[in-house]
Amino acid sequence: MSALNNKLWRTIIKTKGQFIAVVAVVAMGIAVYIGMTTAYQNLNTSKEKFYRDRNFADYYFHVVKAPQQVTKQIATIPGVAGVTGRIQKDVALINDFNQRATARLTSYTLPVKYEINSLQLLTGRFFAAEGVAAQPGEQTRTGDIEVLVDPQYAEGNRLDYGDTVSIVAEGRVVPLTVVGTATGPEFIYLMKDAGTLLPDPTTFGIIMLSRERAQEILNLKGQINQVLVTLVPGADAKRVADQVEEVLEPYGNLAGYPRKQQLSNAMLEAELDGLRASSRYMPAIFLGIAAAIQFVILSRMVRAQRLQIGIMKALGYRSRQVILHYTGYAVLVALCGAILGTLLGLVLSSFMSQAYALYFNLPASIGAVNTQAIIYGFVLSIGISSLAGLTACRSVVKINPAESMHPELPKGGAKTMVEGWSWLWRRLDTAWKMSIRSAARNRGRFGITLVGIVFAVGMLVVSLFTLDAVDYMINKHFYQNQRYDYLVRFTAPVKESELLNIERIEGVQKAEPLLEVPVRINYNGKSEDDAVTGLNPGTSLKKLADPRERPLEVPGEGLLISQRTANKLGAGVGDMVEVETLLGIGPSRLSTIKIVGISNQLVGGGCFVSLQQANVLLQERQLVSGVMLKVAPALSAGLEAELEEMTAVSSVLSRQKELDNFNKNLEASIYSISILVLFALLLGFAIVYNSSVISFAERQRELASLRVLGFSIQEVSGILLKENLLQSVLGVVLGLPFGYLMVKGYIGALSTDLYSLPVIIYPTTYVYAALGSFFFIIVAHLFAVRGIKQLQLVEVLKNKD
Amino acid sequence: MDVLMKLDRVTKTYHMGEVTVNALRETSLDVFQGEILVILGPSGSGKSTLLNIMGGMDLPTTGEMFFLGENLSRAGDKRLTGYRRNEIGFVFQFYNLIPDLTGRENVDLAADLVDEPLKVQEVLAEVGLAERMEHFPSQMSGGEQQRVSIARAAVKNPRLLLCDEPTGALDYQTGKLILALLVKINRERGSTVVIVTHNTPIGDMAHRVVRMRDGTIVEIRENAAPLPPERIEW
Ligand SMILES: Nc1ncnc2c1ncn2[C@@H]1O[C@H](COP(=O)(O)OP(=O)(O)OP(=O)(O)O)[C@@H](O)[C@H]1O
Ligand SMILES: [Mg+2]
Repeated sequence: MSALNNKLWRTIIKTKGQFIAVVAVVAMGIAVYIGMTTAYQNLNTSKEKFYRDRNFADYYFHVVKAPQQVTKQIATIPGVAGVTGRIQKDVALINDFNQRATARLTSYTLPVKYEINSLQLLTGRFFAAEGVAAQPGEQTRTGDIEVLVDPQYAEGNRLDYGDTVSIVAEGRVVPLTVVGTATGPEFIYLMKDAGTLLPDPTTFGIIMLSRERAQEILNLKGQINQVLVTLVPGADAKRVADQVEEVLEPYGNLAGYPRKQQLSNAMLEAELDGLRASSRYMPAIFLGIAAAIQFVILSRMVRAQRLQIGIMKALGYRSRQVILHYTGYAVLVALCGAILGTLLGLVLSSFMSQAYALYFNLPASIGAVNTQAIIYGFVLSIGISSLAGLTACRSVVKINPAESMHPELPKGGAKTMVEGWSWLWRRLDTAWKMSIRSAARNRGRFGITLVGIVFAVGMLVVSLFTLDAVDYMINKHFYQNQRYDYLVRFTAPVKESELLNIERIEGVQKAEPLLEVPVRINYNGKSEDDAVTGLNPGTSLKKLADPRERPLEVPGEGLLISQRTANKLGAGVGDMVEVETLLGIGPSRLSTIKIVGISNQLVGGGCFVSLQQANVLLQERQLVSGVMLKVAPALSAGLEAELEEMTAVSSVLSRQKELDNFNKNLEASIYSISILVLFALLLGFAIVYNSSVISFAERQRELASLRVLGFSIQEVSGILLKENLLQSVLGVVLGLPFGYLMVKGYIGALSTDLYSLPVIIYPTTYVYAALGSFFFIIVAHLFAVRGIKQLQLVEVLKNKD
Repeated sequence: MDVLMKLDRVTKTYHMGEVTVNALRETSLDVFQGEILVILGPSGSGKSTLLNIMGGMDLPTTGEMFFLGENLSRAGDKRLTGYRRNEIGFVFQFYNLIPDLTGRENVDLAADLVDEPLKVQEVLAEVGLAERMEHFPSQMSGGEQQRVSIARAAVKNPRLLLCDEPTGALDYQTGKLILALLVKINRERGSTVVIVTHNTPIGDMAHRVVRMRDGTIVEIRENAAPLPPERIEW
């Protein structure tokens, strides 16, 4: 080892606290980068592989029903690469927990590999196409309908090979035999519809079976109700879709949408987008701040070692060698940080992959190590550190060996801006004056530290914000907007008078009908699919609000359009829109209706009209498709049991169960929020610690002379703290609003069609963020001035530097 | 004369790895109230070590130190801080002013520490700095800085003023002005003044001169007629 290397090594030992702190910041940045990039890559690659392998559809068309031969005609449309016709229908499912659940029956033609959106078998075997004859040694009964179920449903309901599940189809209870689990590219994120908050495998599942059996069960012999299309590369999707819809026109078009709007895909893409955004901005913050800290450390080192540098130069070292020597410090920081960060990042990515495996049904393993991310991590870390190092050391060139031997002019001492405000200045005690002038003298360091604190505080706000947004949503959705305990939906609309059957159930305190109609809204040449819900004006079980959160009443006449659809159509209050019903029964009806308000639901969206108007849209009278119930809590179990018996009921949504499910999912996020908070605290600690250590080191002599004057240890430490607080308080004050901006930016990067988190930050969050900040500030300060007790007055004062 | 401070067989030993340095060996000395005491000796003889112990900046390895009868040789940090705060004024060779405070503010800083400080303005005027007190140390000459440093020590009206090579960094004329200031404080405020120097003629202005060599006192000489600093030549 050369003498210079020895010197570098001793420098690191001497500044080990700072070295460790900045290594930790680099490591966090690299860990976040590798963790998130790896998780993103893994998720994305397995998504793409899955989509490719299972022939994921480019376009979806829903019709009332069409003969299955129609697919042959669609296949001839130019631009269409492949067509699959299938049946997909939601039916009520009866399970052992006496809870009404929904099963999405989805049909396949064997062998599935030729199908669009084909299946990947996970356990068991494929279903037989026809009724199964008894096999020797197997306990199958003739006439069994074999099905596959999605793995989360199977796990949630503890279903095994050979178990039976029962569904209610066409008014009959049909037992189905489970022969395995399977998943498909459209079932990666399983939510019933966009109105659902979160997946809940106990109340919603996919049942896959052969087309023939599905047609049989649903009385749709030779019919299909969905057409899936893949496009040849480069085809004009919109034109092809128009042509397909033309072909399907006679069979009652219900919906047509591209892959982008397919729910599972949209949720997955939203998660991927969020992940990609975070994987860029989070490491940027950490590495940027790490670079800033290194810059501060090295600038100060070069300044303090001016004489040594002069001597080295006098001995014949070149500037370049000296610069490389100091930059070596930064490179070592980068290397240690990158190694540590990679290890942490691998742990993080495996945690994240595990979490994703829980939410996303992706068959391909998503635990791959992303070597590219690791290499980039090293390059990034070393690149940024070297840059910071070189910038900080560039003044070495200017140091002249002869001049460096002369003592530097006494530094400091200048009036500051604050002194202009004499009314304030006169009120400050001497210690504050010292702090303010010292901050003004070290403007660069003060500024860098300030920015660092602002970011750390901002990150604290961002981390805590998630809890606020979720709490706000729960509160809004479950306690303010949705006042009912149960939402019961029927398999098909019924006459309002039939609700008496439900109203008379013991425990029902209030029942309010609703009629949900899927519609297409046309305006100004554009059209958008949405759902219209008819409610009684003056309903008390469902509260509506406009985009500015002012309450809305259900109008007697006219449409409350959802904000999303209004934006897409460019329509506003007062405009007339054409509403086309897309209900699976009966022909579609057209009517024109005036927009009287814009409704903004946190979850699900949707348009609202009066119940009567909804009937008018359908050209029907007194139809209802569901009912909202308020129930005496003690009697809810009995009510659930009674609803269970009713075959006309397709689903029962229980607020309590939704809430439980929501809270269960929240526990998982608490984990990641804690990690974020921890990172933010560490970041803040590292910044404040570093600046305090430097300011302590630079001012030892000053502090020692204060001790000689008779200042106590507490008083001297108080002076340092004041200086620290000066920048910290400013940092916190600026950091809180900055956190708000960060949240806005973050939400902007995330916002999708499906949901948007409200930018809601409770005042208490600012308080917690501020408290957290002062915590890291004080702890860092105490760590930095540990040496104050050992301050050797005699030693420090003995020599003039 | 009343004894202000009594040093009784004070030793100070430094251990540097294998090597032991005896900076002070069994040194005894009484300091009387109101006197000017000059400590002379070659470099390395232990002058600063002795002064630092007297000022409560350092503790003796063995031996006792009494200040007005109170034994301070085993005092804790808290007591020593209080002692420095209320009884001691220190003047260093290199001034050790706070660079971020103006001359006046440096003096304020010390004045704020004690219950009954002298008037800051007056003290600054006494040391001849009334005009320049709003300047920062970096804008002052060495002599001016040393005057601030003396004002800072004097404003607490300490019983004991300890000066380590107060003229060491100054030219001949300026040095004499500084010494004259110390004499003035001694005469007008009654502070006891101890001056450490290796500059033998300075001893002529003292009531008593202590000579040190190899970490111990070799001679204590009384000066029947101390010279005013203006008349000292070196
Ligand atoms: N912290 C220390 N560690 C080791 N030895 C020390 C230490 N401080 C002082 N010494 C030694 O103690 C002896 C006395 O030092 P001191 O500073 O008191 O001398 P001095 O008389 O003030 O000299 P000068 O006139 O050069 O200032 C010297 O030999 C010195 O090397
Ligand atoms: Mg000395």
